[in-house]
Amino acid sequence: MRQKRFVLLASAALFASAISYGGTLSGTVSGGHGAAAVYIDTIPGKTFPAPAKNPVVDQKSLLFQPHVTVVQQGSTVEFLNSDNVAHNIFWPAISGNKKMTHNLGTWPKGEKRPFKFDTPGIVPLLCNVHPEMSAFVIVSPTPYFAEADASGAYKIENVPDGAYTVVAWREGSKPVSSPVKVAGNTTADLKVAK
Amino acid sequence: MNAPSARFCAPGLSVLIPALFVILTPRNSEAIPAFSRQYHTSCQTCHIVFPKLNDFGKAFKDAGFKFPKDDETYLKVPAVMLGAPAQKDVFPKSVWPGEIPGLPPIGLRMSTFFQVTGGKRNRFNALSAPAAPQFIPATDFETGFFSIFTAGNFGSDISFWVDDDISVAGQNASGGLGDAYLRFGNIGRFAKLPTDSLNFKVGQFELDLPFTQARTYNLSPYDIYSEANIGAINSMGAQQNVANQFAFAGAAKGIEVSGGHNYGGYHYSLAVFDQNTSGVSQTSNTSPYLPSATGGSSGGVGFASDSSTKDIYARLSYRFNLERDPASRSSMQAAGATGPHDHTYLNVGTFYLHGNSRQAVPGLTLAGDNTLLVAHEPFYRAGGDFGFNFRALNVFGLYMYGRDKNLLPVDSTGNAILLPLAATPLPTSFLGSFPAVFHGGFVEADYMVLPWIMAIARWDGVHSSADRINGLALTTGIPFFAATQSARNRFTPGVQFLIHPNIKASFEYQLRPQQSVTSVTDPVTGVQKLQNPFRVNTALFGLEFVY
Repeated sequence: MRQKRFVLLASAALFASAISYGGTLSGTVSGGHGAAAVYIDTIPGKTFPAPAKNPVVDQKSLLFQPHVTVVQQGSTVEFLNSDNVAHNIFWPAISGNKKMTHNLGTWPKGEKRPFKFDTPGIVPLLCNVHPEMSAFVIVSPTPYFAEADASGAYKIENVPDGAYTVVAWREGSKPVSSPVKVAGNTTADLKVAK
Repeated sequence: MNAPSARFCAPGLSVLIPALFVILTPRNSEAIPAFSRQYHTSCQTCHIVFPKLNDFGKAFKDAGFKFPKDDETYLKVPAVMLGAPAQKDVFPKSVWPGEIPGLPPIGLRMSTFFQVTGGKRNRFNALSAPAAPQFIPATDFETGFFSIFTAGNFGSDISFWVDDDISVAGQNASGGLGDAYLRFGNIGRFAKLPTDSLNFKVGQFELDLPFTQARTYNLSPYDIYSEANIGAINSMGAQQNVANQFAFAGAAKGIEVSGGHNYGGYHYSLAVFDQNTSGVSQTSNTSPYLPSATGGSSGGVGFASDSSTKDIYARLSYRFNLERDPASRSSMQAAGATGPHDHTYLNVGTFYLHGNSRQAVPGLTLAGDNTLLVAHEPFYRAGGDFGFNFRALNVFGLYMYGRDKNLLPVDSTGNAILLPLAATPLPTSFLGSFPAVFHGGFVEADYMVLPWIMAIARWDGVHSSADRINGLALTTGIPFFAATQSARNRFTPGVQFLIHPNIKASFEYQLRPQQSVTSVTDPVTGVQKLQNPFRVNTALFGLEFVY
């Protein structure tokens, strides 16, 4: 009886690990220049709970920091002003949809203003008093996303095996979607174009 | 880049041309791309439509061309230290350390213009010599200014500004130095005065005018700033022995103390500067017998004053920021639901200038010996100003009254000598008479149609009976440029477009006052009347870029 229980537990653990720690999707984003991110697009029939931890986008020294933040759909991003000057955050559209424009207003130094991103897409952040300030929040519909490094290399870990649509985005380029079959460690190189 | 003031003070073509130049030539303006480079920020961080400052730009300037707080955290090009900060601990056995900007803070500006001048523009030639009448074209492409300007701070609240027109109208060296000064900010801290309550500036600078002329964003200057009080010298009217070339548009050489802020609350300034009412240039006022700073013991470049007395200019203003939230009211920029913006404000101010114009003329003593007679004619300019801002609308205006004491030359019998003075008779003394006065001002409304389009409407008015009387000297048959009435009103609608934050296209249409070329004696009344008065309205297009 005790042996049976052990086998059952071991099988459950193995199954759970297969789900939690699937394969790795990696590759390179080529074409264009600048920051890039990759995420797995909506998986039909699947929903994911929003993460408990809220990422922070800071406004410091007249810069958004970090320049690119990739979050899961449903995440709440906290926008912080660390400067002694007044800032603002707004976005004119989400993935080009101007109906999704939003203005967060302004708030004093040291304070944060949260915003929950329920719509997946590319959110270009702007400040209406410092036109040179620019950043992006990439809202992924799944928890499978990664920001590419300077060379364009990316790595998304814990991706369960399956067929997905992968979206690659690079600043200044249009996002591209590409079907990918993930089976264990999988490589997918993606090319974006202006 | 203050243009020296000039104005028609005597009839003739020699007056017409510079007068046209002053009135029609666009003024200078500056934005500071050097700061964009240092901070990696847009022109619009400080400017609405360059060089018009927004509230943050005013705070940046007030602070000595740096961010009012934690400036070093915003600098993307770190300053170069001229000595380790720890050297301060060794002082006075070391030089107090300073710093210079990491990049040479240099900005350049180029402008070009296109002008359409009204159809009766050549009536000025009606009485000129037929051999070579000046011809004013209907349309004209005009080279503008190529200017260099540099500004920044040396740390320790010491800031600087230098600007110079390298070329004007395509002529090298036709321009000249505008402002060039060193400013010691917040020196009141040594006396434990409130922050920014006392600053000190020395050099050549535009007076603390309520609305800048040297850095105006308008194509044409404010008329009242160019008004010099010459006095009536035509014998047809009450004569005035006043020849005061001072005008607010000119740069002052001297010192200034100031305090407060231009983005909220009080602001004051007090300047003491060289008097030069004769208009003589520093390069002309030389002596082979006396040293001056820019030369050796044998003369040097010359003296900037024409008098031993100094002029005094004072300004006091208060700006009421009208936001309900106290924190927002006292901030550099107002907070709003959609982001920070310029305050809704009402600004009121006053200014006063006092000088003592010196006029030296050859004369006689009562004994009949030749001598130099000197008349000291005190003068003042006083006025008030207001500014109101509400969202995209900015309305402001200024009124000024000018008055010069009028000392008429008299001969040995005590009779006034007809002006202008001739070789004979020579005066023996002066006698007080009616003062020479003028007044006027301007009102302007700017409306930001879009963040890159600014619509402008401006009214300028100058009332000077002396100008009018001088204009009537045309009975000599020499063309002149003068309004047909004592009041010269000008309405100037315009619009400015930002093609990029550093490239601007401007347009204005100047509805100019009625002018006349000549007058005739009415055969019925025997009174002088104007002949064919006309207007020369002007459409002016400007394109300028800074980099």
